[in-house]
Amino acid sequence: MTDSENILVARGLHKYYGKGPSRTHVLRGLDLSARRGEFLAVMGPSGCGKSTLLHILGLMTHCDEGVIDLNGQPAPFDDSARTLLRRTQIGFVFQRFNLLGVLSAEDNVAISLRVRGLGASSRVRELFERLGIAHVMRRKPGQMSIGEQQRVAVVRALAHRPALLLADEPTGNLDSANSRDLLEIFRQTNRQENQTIVMITHSAEAASCADRVLQMKDGLILGQPA
Amino acid sequence: MSYLPLSNILHHKLRSVLSALGIGVGICMLITLSGLSRGSLGEIGDRWESVDAELIAYPKGLGTKITTISGGLLSDKAAERFLEHKDLVQSVVPILLCGASIGGQDNLISGIDPWDWKTLTNDLKVVDGVVPDHEGKFTRWYEKTVLTPSTQPDAPPLDLDDKVIAEHGGMELMVDERLAKKGRFHVGDTVNMENHAWKIVGICPSGVITRVFMPRRTAQKFFSGGSIHNSTLMFVKLRPGVDQNDACRKLACEYADLMPKQQYRASLDHTFGIMFTYIDIVNAIALVIAFLFIMITLYMMVLQRTRDIAILKSCGASNWFILRQMLAESMLLTFTGTAVGIALSFPAAWLIQVFAPLLTVQLSFKWIAVAILAAAAGALVSGLYPGWRATRVDMVEALTNE
Repeated sequence: MTDSENILVARGLHKYYGKGPSRTHVLRGLDLSARRGEFLAVMGPSGCGKSTLLHILGLMTHCDEGVIDLNGQPAPFDDSARTLLRRTQIGFVFQRFNLLGVLSAEDNVAISLRVRGLGASSRVRELFERLGIAHVMRRKPGQMSIGEQQRVAVVRALAHRPALLLADEPTGNLDSANSRDLLEIFRQTNRQENQTIVMITHSAEAASCADRVLQMKDGLILGQPA
Repeated sequence: MSYLPLSNILHHKLRSVLSALGIGVGICMLITLSGLSRGSLGEIGDRWESVDAELIAYPKGLGTKITTISGGLLSDKAAERFLEHKDLVQSVVPILLCGASIGGQDNLISGIDPWDWKTLTNDLKVVDGVVPDHEGKFTRWYEKTVLTPSTQPDAPPLDLDDKVIAEHGGMELMVDERLAKKGRFHVGDTVNMENHAWKIVGICPSGVITRVFMPRRTAQKFFSGGSIHNSTLMFVKLRPGVDQNDACRKLACEYADLMPKQQYRASLDHTFGIMFTYIDIVNAIALVIAFLFIMITLYMMVLQRTRDIAILKSCGASNWFILRQMLAESMLLTFTGTAVGIALSFPAAWLIQVFAPLLTVQLSFKWIAVAILAAAAGALVSGLYPGWRATRVDMVEALTNE
């Protein structure tokens, strides 16, 4: 596999938290790559650095060492350039949905588009319909079920057609039925739109939907030389 | 699409209402207090300008202190000098100003000769009753009694007490409508002023030079040491076509300097300018407090909403976008508060004049515009720091910990 087939390549990622004796080495030179159109799951026990990895891959925080290539380009160090990449290339789905409570479902999506300099499009309506939540478009998060909230979060993450969808424990707060539905949505999106997805999960059932599953432990991908 | 700052404001109704009210009270104070100070002073200027004369003669060397003088400092000989310039001067109105408490507050009182009412007020009709000593009987009797030396060597010294003066019509007062309303005075009432009993004989329209009038000779007796040869100042009515500044120069003499009547307002502003400064400082402090309130509110909001801010940042919101949201929220709150403040200032002005009819509140578009500009500046400043803090929110920390 060549780097040109990879939409995401991370090499030698190190991340430390804290200072002095309490300093924790969370990522220990981790390598990871994801092919264009791949649905990749990363599993591992709590505290192994999964979420930290996702935040670094999503350019939300810097790694202390290592490099990330996104779409064939090295991720910049400058914050405003990283913000621009995040705006155009990446979509996030979080465990706790992270919708803005004061806005309706459609406005949550609309403001994410406005942040990205995009206007409302027919795709938004289409996504709401495809995910079976057209009836909640005008509702605020507090008036929706948790399953509906998570689907709205997915619409928001996909509305601008990101190159990379990063999902952090997306089924962590959902019941079994909603989890299955969400994973089916991910699977469909991955197949129909060739959407690259990197999903962090505890759940073996969720991971089983992915094309490839990576196991993480102590800040490294299992099988990777320490 | 809903506007995020507006949605935030509508979502936190109590907080938004309190913030807007805080601003509104500050803006209302700014407009009303400015209207009160400038209105009250402006009204005094208007009243003096209502006098049907062009020049004011005042004791020599007094300058801008003319706005605060009372008592008999100007010799009546000045009037004789002015009247010698028949080509310039049509008439001279001497007036003795004194201060006394009536109707629950200190008032400036004009002692005038009854025949000068016409010149002094441009022939304004009294609302009820008559001008004090309206036929001039007391004035003529007093002048004759005091000025004419007794031919009897053993004549007793003059003993003109209140009773004698009252019998000749000297203890008469006229008040203006606003003072009559505040003191609930009517024609025929007897009031106590400076330990003398006075009879109210007339009520005149407001807008004349002072709120209280009495015969000039009575004012001289009770408020100017009894000398009947001095007044406080004189209004000089010029003949048509005479240049005022030229007349001021020509009429100046060893007793008096003169100024055009219009200059009195500038002297008032000069004398009471410090009061404006004081009120402006109070207003500025009130506004600063109101905007600190907004700043604290927005800052608290940033602290409470770090997750929302982090969500926007995770979508790729730039610092400028985040800052704009905070400034827009600050602006919306402030302009709502400003509109409330402007709206409140009208009933506030009305209430002041109902409960304190002697005060004048003059709401001006200029001060409303100043209030709007101050609010815009305040909104910008008070939104900047919380906005800057919002841009510094750590996405990962906010999304992980909340």
